[in-house]
Amino acid sequence: MNKSLRGLLVAVVGVAALAAGVYFGLLRTPDMEGQDGATLLALSLPNAAGVEQSLGQWPGKVLVVNFWATWCAPCREEMPEFVRAQSEYGARGLQFVGIAVDQADKVEQFSKEFGLNYPSLIGGYGAVELSKTLGNRLAALPFTIVVDRQGRIAHTQLGPLKPDKLRAIVDKLL
Amino acid sequence: MAYPPTSIGSPPRPLPRASAWAAGLLSALALAAALPALAQVNAPLPVDKAFRLSARALNPETIEARFVIADGYYLYRDRINFSIEPAAARLAVPPLPEGKVKEDQFFGKVQTYRGGLIVNLAVRDAKVGERVVLKVESQGCADVGICYPPNTQRISLVLPAANSAPTRPDEPAKKSWFN
Repeated sequence: MNKSLRGLLVAVVGVAALAAGVYFGLLRTPDMEGQDGATLLALSLPNAAGVEQSLGQWPGKVLVVNFWATWCAPCREEMPEFVRAQSEYGARGLQFVGIAVDQADKVEQFSKEFGLNYPSLIGGYGAVELSKTLGNRLAALPFTIVVDRQGRIAHTQLGPLKPDKLRAIVDKLL
Repeated sequence: MAYPPTSIGSPPRPLPRASAWAAGLLSALALAAALPALAQVNAPLPVDKAFRLSARALNPETIEARFVIADGYYLYRDRINFSIEPAAARLAVPPLPEGKVKEDQFFGKVQTYRGGLIVNLAVRDAKVGERVVLKVESQGCADVGICYPPNTQRISLVLPAANSAPTRPDEPAKKSWFN
């Protein structure tokens, strides 16, 4: 092959790979997937009563960590499904944990109103910065991280996690 | 073994013709060009791109703030706040224009802005020629089902003397070579 043609081909493939990276990278946040979730599991945040709770307190379980807020309508929309999934899969080792970008009183009220059957910890706006280090580049909500039984990040998702998708991911890990 | 094997593998292929290469290159180029465009359509925008804020001083006492809101994104009317620095200056914010009423299953009737928003803010007790910083807090979401936390954007501008032309946002102070 002619040298300049080969150079051009390499450049084109490079541009295509970069574009594909941008495309898929922005739709999903897969760069964290497969990585060790130790940083996440080492976190400790207060619950609505002010008692510190560690995310590492459920070793061996499949953990679904959901960053949300009471002011975020799409977050509220998907939470009844999380409540259903917690009841359905809880005994098999699934544990949901919310991290609220919100105030304790609002979270408490919401938890009662919606009958949340899993803990929601209070992260305040600082939780947004935290989620950025875990792959939430746009710092938007909802943002959800699924951690497998071995403590590895199995899935990260910006935006609603549709029931079918959630079940497909969880079924594989349990 | 008397003879070396004679038919292992396929015979060397003829080199592809130049036209085949050109077609391949063109398809790769088309793909490379299309992917970022697709990404722009589908990928959510960073908050400052979803809600682009600009501001300019119309006269010594008026700042025009303008949001350009990307398609598929909206701002909540009651979550927009304007303030100004230094603290000695004051801002009189008029009632914001009526937004589009949205019946939200959680928040009841809420007003949202789509497309854009222009607000003329009255500035009091600021010195002419003074550099001020307009702070705008806003909160919005995207139809794809994500919301951004409240976001504060700042625009620095200089209040012009009366009868001078409006300043552009973030216009650097003009430097004279003779001073």
